[in-house]
Amino acid sequence: MAKVADAKTFKGTPGQIRQQRIERAGALSLSIIAAVWMIANLVKAPEQFAQVAISGLRNGLIYALIALGYTLVYGIIELINFAHGDLFMLSAVFSSFFITYWMGADKSNGYGWFAFGLCLVVVMIFGAVINVLIERYAYRRLRHAPRLAPLITAVGMSFLLNFIGLKWNGSTPRQWPTVIPSGDIYIGEIRISMITIWLFLIGLPLLLGLNYLVTRTKQGKAMRATAQDRDASTLMGINVNKTIAFTFALGGAMAGAAGLLYQQSIGTTNYNLGFQLGLIAFTSAVLGGIGNLWGAVLGGLLIGLIQGLNDGLPIAFGQQWSQSVVFTILIIILVFKPAGLLGKTVTEKV
Amino acid sequence: MANVLEAQNISVQFGGLLAVNNVTFNIPNKSIVSLIGPNGAGKTTFFNVLTGLYKPSAGKIIYGGKEITDLPPHKIAESGIARTFQNIRLFGLMSAQENLLVAMHSHLKSGITSTILRTPKQRKEESEAEAKAQEILDFAGVGKWTHEFARNLSYGDQRRLEVARALALNPKVLLLDEPTAGMNAQESQVFIDFINKLVSERDIAVMLIEHDMKVVMALSQRITVLDQGEKIAEGSPDEIRNNPRVIEAYLGKPKGARK
Amino acid sequence: MAKVSVANNVTRSNRKWIIGYSIAAFVLFITYQFLIPWDGLPSGIYQVVNRWMPPSAVNESLVYVIMALGLNIVVGYAGLLDLGYVAFWAIGGYCAGWFMSEFFYFLNIHFFGSVPAEAPGIHINFWMVLVIGGFVCALFGILIGAPTLRLKSDYLALVTLGFGEIIPQVFFNGENFFGFNISNGTRGIVRVDPIPVGVKDLGPFDFGWKLLIFLFLAAVMVFISLRLRRGRLGRAWLAIREDELAASMMGVPLMRTKLASYAVGAFAGGLGGVAFATHVDGVYAERFNFTISIFLLAMVVLGGMGNVWGVILGAFVLSWVNGTGLSAFSRVYNDSFGTKVDFASYTFLLFGLVLILMMLFKREGLLPESRLKLMLHEEDLDEKDASGSKRKVGK
Repeated sequence: MAKVADAKTFKGTPGQIRQQRIERAGALSLSIIAAVWMIANLVKAPEQFAQVAISGLRNGLIYALIALGYTLVYGIIELINFAHGDLFMLSAVFSSFFITYWMGADKSNGYGWFAFGLCLVVVMIFGAVINVLIERYAYRRLRHAPRLAPLITAVGMSFLLNFIGLKWNGSTPRQWPTVIPSGDIYIGEIRISMITIWLFLIGLPLLLGLNYLVTRTKQGKAMRATAQDRDASTLMGINVNKTIAFTFALGGAMAGAAGLLYQQSIGTTNYNLGFQLGLIAFTSAVLGGIGNLWGAVLGGLLIGLIQGLNDGLPIAFGQQWSQSVVFTILIIILVFKPAGLLGKTVTEKV
Repeated sequence: MANVLEAQNISVQFGGLLAVNNVTFNIPNKSIVSLIGPNGAGKTTFFNVLTGLYKPSAGKIIYGGKEITDLPPHKIAESGIARTFQNIRLFGLMSAQENLLVAMHSHLKSGITSTILRTPKQRKEESEAEAKAQEILDFAGVGKWTHEFARNLSYGDQRRLEVARALALNPKVLLLDEPTAGMNAQESQVFIDFINKLVSERDIAVMLIEHDMKVVMALSQRITVLDQGEKIAEGSPDEIRNNPRVIEAYLGKPKGARK
Repeated sequence: MAKVSVANNVTRSNRKWIIGYSIAAFVLFITYQFLIPWDGLPSGIYQVVNRWMPPSAVNESLVYVIMALGLNIVVGYAGLLDLGYVAFWAIGGYCAGWFMSEFFYFLNIHFFGSVPAEAPGIHINFWMVLVIGGFVCALFGILIGAPTLRLKSDYLALVTLGFGEIIPQVFFNGENFFGFNISNGTRGIVRVDPIPVGVKDLGPFDFGWKLLIFLFLAAVMVFISLRLRRGRLGRAWLAIREDELAASMMGVPLMRTKLASYAVGAFAGGLGGVAFATHVDGVYAERFNFTISIFLLAMVVLGGMGNVWGVILGAFVLSWVNGTGLSAFSRVYNDSFGTKVDFASYTFLLFGLVLILMMLFKREGLLPESRLKLMLHEEDLDEKDASGSKRKVGK
């Protein structure tokens, strides 16, 4: 057993210290730039700022829910499930058909809310089942294959789901009525839609529920163990296959919920939704720290906020650069601080 | 005797764990030295520091009079420090010859344009390299597998090929990580003869990490013992054999404590 | 296990391919330039050829072949999963648009151009623009590759994907890029110069002669790929693909070698991009999107990563199916059965299935490089190793 050194005095090897300093300097300068930008906009158009901030955060909640799916799966099998965004899209389409056609609800009344609640349960099951099936039949065989193989499969799966969405939804975006109570409340000049409030009211319990599942239950513990060391977990009697399936189910359920919430709040579905939002959600997961659940939430809210501010504020790049802004953030994080905001930089022992 | 490689006051820390604690280790020219110690003693970590895979938390490495601590692994290899791996890490999908040619990468000079055009200079360089590779393959006893995929070779031949590949770097120091793992007594003896022949014929020093005490005792001019990341003894085989601290840390039977 | 003997013929002298290739190219050219337009050709044959394999389709497939060969160097040789290759296509295309058209109407620079001297804009000779486009793309390959050098394969894929999104978006919004018009935005750059070949200038409808040129460009990439693979750079790439750590410990400089693969791979993108611009006679921003990067990946995967001939086959097959095959099939099917199935929209299904099924069942591709077959099924072999079997050489 090697000696346990005085952990407090050890800062790191010279190389690591240099790296930390670069990261800190980079983070500091980026934060300063971001802060200056926000303050400039705040001064120039305060109500607009608050307005877009709120809608940005609302989008961020949806990103967070999707990001959770990415981060859960990556945490346990180190795979970027490219198809996850498309699962979200399919869930949105599913929700629209469920509520509007199959249940025939199109108004915000008692029946509508009932349809919504039922749909929430059903779409989460839908998402969970699809995700588990994908894992079982496409990814499981490749679990021990070199990294290139499952990655390529995930991309292929994404195309497949995209195709299903194209056929189901049609090639043009579709509008759907909402059954969530709408209407606005006003704080001064700032309009907050009831939908936004309801989104948070529904989203928060979901997040808390997920957190409970992961941290307090036996299955959750099995998940975390498998994520850390798959072989050791098997030796400890954990059924790795079941645990991974469970993880995919959770991620799929989150995507399902996100699909419903998106469809009810934004009101449209589009077969390309998965690709657009998928990468944004993954960036959120990476920003927050891949593998970290609260990181995904934080990342989602942050990205939503930044995107909202960029799209809506006077001093910004504007909506046509939205994707590029998000991708630039992704690249910067991956290159300079791949562990993200809440992740830990781990020194790998070879 | 001058040292070809000097590691001074090396410490390696992983988080709160001190894997190597203030170890000084020198390899004299044209010598055969060994590093032994119980499992977990920090040998492989220290070894990885010597080859540039890890950067030490403290201390420095001097090679040929210059400090190389901060050099990237490929530069260290280029300058003449070669190693083999505990679990064979050959390029299984390349031929034996290609494995060696990869090791010669840093000594070959052809660039993209001359490779595409196959200039006379590039062709000459390639055929000279191939000839040299064949010579090393023959020397290591795997000369007949020149164009065979490394993966197809027998275990013993793969070990030999790994050494051959390391030799293709034209090294001054050869670092071997458990080279006789999985070998029987006869194979180990062949290996011992090979190393002795190598050091006598070339200007090279050899360092081994080994668990096979017979091999260690037979080959080494000097043995260093690590335990819990610290150097607890250093001396000739006889000195080490009778050192009570060593015996205590590492109940090594003189008849060969094999895994 | 299949008998895998001597290290693959690709490392040996392969000058014979030039002969075979030239013959095939000659046959193809004669067919399209002279045979098909011949009056004496039965109209039935002409119809079939025109529906299923019109010359424009062949040329377009060749552009994909050139690109796929470039991606093959990054993904197939060096093992770096690049998901953003379309960026190079775009850059190559815009190089053609900048240096071979009236885009820069306020300038008047002519350099062996193929238009009259009074024409506004920059008009550099096509062959030089090819080289320029290639090198500009190579430079961008290095710029894009540089951030990915220390990343694991998944993160590397993401960063390349990110660039593969950002760069086309820059061109898409290029009408007002910090005040400058660099691409005409969504309108695109319409009409590029014809290709001068001494005796005449080839316009967008000179399919037959252009076929020869595109075949030549593809041959150039094949030549470069095979030569590099035989030399120390190719060996370094294969070593990195297999075991990056061991490679670096054997003296292979990882960063430089990886950047070289990006650069050479991107060069092909430049060639293809310029060629494509002459093929469609313009540069149009909405053509450059992420799906193309995945198409190219599918072509490399289908053909067999690392195997030049497999990749050519994969590129031809998939680009043909996507471009001509599906719609031709659609017409025939619908005419026969009176249905109205839109097969062309099934592209995503097709490519998705190709990727998934290939990875599940034939990871090494249709024409695998024998060593790749070994590598991608490593885990099966590892189990045999673990059970203690000493493998003797099969002779």
